[in-house]
Amino acid sequence: MGKTKDKKNNNSINFEDSSLYINRELSWLSFNERVLSEAEDEKNPLFERLKFLAITASNLDEFFMVRVASLKDMINAGYKKLDIAGMTATEQLDAVLIAVHDFVDKQYEIYNKYLMPLLVDKGLRISDVSELTKKEGEYVDRYFDEFVFPVLTPMAVDSSRPFPLIRNKTLNIGALLKKKEGKDGVDFATVQVPDVLPRILEIPATDSDTGLRKIVLLEQIIERNLSKLFMNYDIITSAPYRAGRNADLSIDEDEAEDLLKEIEKQLKLRQWGQAIRLEVSEDMDKKLLKLISEDLGVEDNEIYRIDGPLDLTFLMKVYKLDDFEHLKEHSYKPPQPVVAFSGDKDIFEVIREGDVLMHHPYETFENVVKFVEKAAVDPDVLAIKQTLYRVSGNSPIIAALAKAADNGKQVTVLVELKARFDEENNIVWAKMLEKAGCHVIYGLVGLKTHCKITLVVRREEDGIKRYVHLATGNYNDSTAKQYTDVGLFTCAPAFGEDATAVFNMLSGYSEPLGWNKLSLAPLWLKDRILDLIKREEEHAKAGEPARIIAKMNSICHKEVIAELYRASSMGVKIDLIVRGICCLKAGIPGVSENITVRSIVGNFLEHSRIFYFENGTSPEFYASSADWMPRNLERRVEILFPVENEKLRNKLWHILDTELKDNEKAHIMNPDGRFVKEKISSDGFEESINSQKIFGEEAASAAKVMTTQNTRVFVPEKHV
Amino acid sequence: MTGEVFAAIDVGSYEMALKIFELSQKKGVRELDHVRHRMDLGTETYATGRISSFHVEEMIRILKDFRNIMEGYGVTHYQAYGTSAMRETRDIVVVQDLIEQSTGIHIDILSNSEQRFLDYKSIALKQDQFEEIIRRPTAIVDIGGGSIQISLFEKDALVATQNLTTGVLRIHTTMEEVHATKLKYRDLVSELVNSQLSVFSKIHLKDRKIENIIIIDDYVSPIIQKQRMGTDREGYATRQEFLKFLEKASVTSAIEVAKKLNIPEDNVPMLYVSGTVIKCFLDETKADNLWAPGITLCDGIAYEYAEKKNFISSPHDFEQDIIACAQNISKRFMGSKSRRETLQKIALTVFDSTADLHGLTQRDRLLLQIATILHDCGKYISLVYLGDCSYNIIMSTEIIGLSHREREIVANVVRFNHEEFEYYTANSKFFEGFTREDYLRVAKLTAILRIANGLDRTHKQKFKDVTVTVKDRELEIFVDTNADITLEKGLFGNRASFFEEVFGIRPVIRQKRII
Repeated sequence: MGKTKDKKNNNSINFEDSSLYINRELSWLSFNERVLSEAEDEKNPLFERLKFLAITASNLDEFFMVRVASLKDMINAGYKKLDIAGMTATEQLDAVLIAVHDFVDKQYEIYNKYLMPLLVDKGLRISDVSELTKKEGEYVDRYFDEFVFPVLTPMAVDSSRPFPLIRNKTLNIGALLKKKEGKDGVDFATVQVPDVLPRILEIPATDSDTGLRKIVLLEQIIERNLSKLFMNYDIITSAPYRAGRNADLSIDEDEAEDLLKEIEKQLKLRQWGQAIRLEVSEDMDKKLLKLISEDLGVEDNEIYRIDGPLDLTFLMKVYKLDDFEHLKEHSYKPPQPVVAFSGDKDIFEVIREGDVLMHHPYETFENVVKFVEKAAVDPDVLAIKQTLYRVSGNSPIIAALAKAADNGKQVTVLVELKARFDEENNIVWAKMLEKAGCHVIYGLVGLKTHCKITLVVRREEDGIKRYVHLATGNYNDSTAKQYTDVGLFTCAPAFGEDATAVFNMLSGYSEPLGWNKLSLAPLWLKDRILDLIKREEEHAKAGEPARIIAKMNSICHKEVIAELYRASSMGVKIDLIVRGICCLKAGIPGVSENITVRSIVGNFLEHSRIFYFENGTSPEFYASSADWMPRNLERRVEILFPVENEKLRNKLWHILDTELKDNEKAHIMNPDGRFVKEKISSDGFEESINSQKIFGEEAASAAKVMTTQNTRVFVPEKHV
Repeated sequence: MTGEVFAAIDVGSYEMALKIFELSQKKGVRELDHVRHRMDLGTETYATGRISSFHVEEMIRILKDFRNIMEGYGVTHYQAYGTSAMRETRDIVVVQDLIEQSTGIHIDILSNSEQRFLDYKSIALKQDQFEEIIRRPTAIVDIGGGSIQISLFEKDALVATQNLTTGVLRIHTTMEEVHATKLKYRDLVSELVNSQLSVFSKIHLKDRKIENIIIIDDYVSPIIQKQRMGTDREGYATRQEFLKFLEKASVTSAIEVAKKLNIPEDNVPMLYVSGTVIKCFLDETKADNLWAPGITLCDGIAYEYAEKKNFISSPHDFEQDIIACAQNISKRFMGSKSRRETLQKIALTVFDSTADLHGLTQRDRLLLQIATILHDCGKYISLVYLGDCSYNIIMSTEIIGLSHREREIVANVVRFNHEEFEYYTANSKFFEGFTREDYLRVAKLTAILRIANGLDRTHKQKFKDVTVTVKDRELEIFVDTNADITLEKGLFGNRASFFEEVFGIRPVIRQKRII
């Protein structure tokens, strides 16, 4: 590949050369490492570090179920196509497994070496059952007898009983048994650690206590009492193990008569996909391990020998223990009221006065819920249309939609059944909404509906008015407290027309003849993004201001990245804020030396997609539900929307600008693709900037000013 | 809310469409929503004359959806029309009933001339551009699934309109039947279109120079609208721009064309056909400019409703277009201009003076006017069978703006002007499908036309002025003339009797001499 620094002549550079790209799986692992680094970071409160460690474990589970499984499928199918970085599926899998082994070692190093001792210092021990006092032992045995034993289903394996199916992600205890009397020979038995019971049990304080609280893990309680399950056997050895299975759903929608039924069927299958990971306790007996691994059909490099408790997601339960509030993060402000909605004005009146842009979770998501709730009871509202991708349990939005239907409104809800790992949840909501009289639609065959849009049609004095909410995040009031997103309220007719057209399209009607403001995937969005990048390229060529700032979760679309490389080589300054996967390499001379990539991993999950294009001297701002990934741009229904109001554009600029200045939670990509954490110089002059904290504080002070302004004070007249 | 929310539904041969409009005097006609569903009804009905149960079910499903959408806007009135595909269905009454029972939506069937008139009316929605373009000689080429309607304008007025039975869908089906290869596709389509176009050209175009073509279609129009032909004015393209675009499109694969133009791949063959049809017209007329106003039948439906409800008023006189069209037909069949003008004058004077007696509408006045214009068109064929021949000519000639039933009324009025009036019976071959009101309309208009015809019995336009008053059970017709009207007076009795029979008063002629 020939590279040249002559930015006016970049024809000789092949921007699609695979050496310029990072494999997406390795890039994802790099993201999980950044999360892990938060667990390692001493500046974080101890319990937050536990939470970050738990998140890495849960992330890794999903990664295996979907991504590793997919690589295995490719290998099994003899798929020969190279990935973006020029790797075969086998090469990718080998690299991933090596990286994951290192990653898991690091997880347990942090767990054992740093977090556990600190936890003991702070008065909490995750005890091994062998360390319990007699009295404590008796307590756990009693707990076993009363609560655990009745829900256990031990299963022995012999010639007449085959090896049982081990369900995905479940924790199990395997054991080798020998009959107390009678013939020789060893039997294998397994018992699933029941997920209906809490994974951790706190031992009540005793007299001899030194103030140290102790918790034990359920699998250890079972192991300690294993003999009660196999009365006529001697337990030769036992140890916990956990299997991860292929869970990637691939539904043949063309053949599925009823999508709902098909997904229900697939959900059942998910538990029984091919095993792709086996986690075992480090001290598991070799014979026992051989037996289990052979039966599950896992290779040696798929076996993870764990130095500690399996499945660290239990640390989220530890995080929720009472009385450790002082070890958690409290410097981040809770969601604040949105200034625009602070007065006595009706929500529709406020939107009529001008567009409103909200930045969650710093500003509360409550107004979005209220918007739907108000529409449900407003006598002038004729119709409500909304897309639902992932909703929370007991979602107030669902309740409001059902109420609206009950009040005689036309309610159309697009429930995306295929939202991964949320399918069961979605089916429940879909059925409930249908029952309430809503018109439930399930989107377009072959495409996931990922855009977040709500349309309220209202009959007003001067005619029909349409109110639209567009967002980068899901209509989930629960995750809206954890994810950073932006949402726009508008009643501009051009947006209203487009929103109407979006729902018509999702209902299966023909696409509109043209769009006013929105760009939609999979038909138009990718080209729009490429055009916007190319336009900056043209500006750069003409010597005009040319800059792109793009904030998203992931970027791995080759065509888009190649266009960014081309723009960079022409002199366009590009700053990417990418939380997760990034297949682009920053800082390669002649290719991406004008590109910077930073990843912010903080208290909140960075989730908003905001794009800035300098466009000479007429900058444009956009927000979107889509990342720059093939799945978003080519296989999903996504929306890109412009933000045109000057004040709101300033707000978006401030978000981008502050994140570019973040030096506390930002990791910067080096030309080799590795991320290093931004370092603040120790001279004391450089100010520490944590963008998430700043946004929270700003929202709080804006809310405070608003409260002060709204407080009515009667001043008593002074007697002269 | 002042105004009304109105829904227009078009069950077309290739697509079902719903448009929701807000109508108000302040804002006029404002489109709120446009929903389209692809359904190839035409291919089936053109070939079999039936709509399969599969398609009926699909129509019901879509119309139920449309109903939901209409409710979502609080629609108070709607109008649903079926066009050529439904028109050509033999058991259409059964289908209409089935749909109405299942969805509550009644679909009326539009005659071709009514449909084209609505299309035409909707162009006038774009008032400024429309008035500007028709100042120069212009043709409207309205390309539907089943047929093409060509209308010619001269000096602001519609002068001729003709239907060619070669719609896009029909042509496309024919091309599939003959397994047309890509190489031959354009030539074959051109051949098919030109075979009919040349006849049209001989009858109507002759030496007329056409400068502009207004395009109504579903495939080329959106492309012109979206300025994808390199034009700098939305909705316009020059002859060169269009031909260049068509040339490029025809050498590019369907997938590429779909991708480049952002249109569904299924639409690409129709785009070729529609484009080739337009090219044929450009070649035939040598027109320089194309204008695609981007309107649909739904716009026309809404326009008509809004006009009827006085939400809007148009400066363009559509009635005048219908009259001009009728005059042109009369001219084609060698009708006498001076005679039709005299008849018109007398007949309309009688109509206006007897409003309290007949209770007819302004629309009926228009029908009477058309009848006077066409009253003797059958003469072109036979002087003996004048009534029958006139009837047949009118029934075989489209008069844009008139429904099929209205055309039948006009044809019968003209027929019974010359022949003995046929009274209504259940089995009457003349009034098949007529309602009581339609029949009475024919009778009343015939009575008036006969009086007018009687007053100009000698075809010499003897009267300078005619005034009419109703007095003491008599319809006094005062005529200003110094001519000898013995013949008129003598033969008037017969005609007067029929008038008396219908209206209950006797017409009498009173002659005033001009000094």
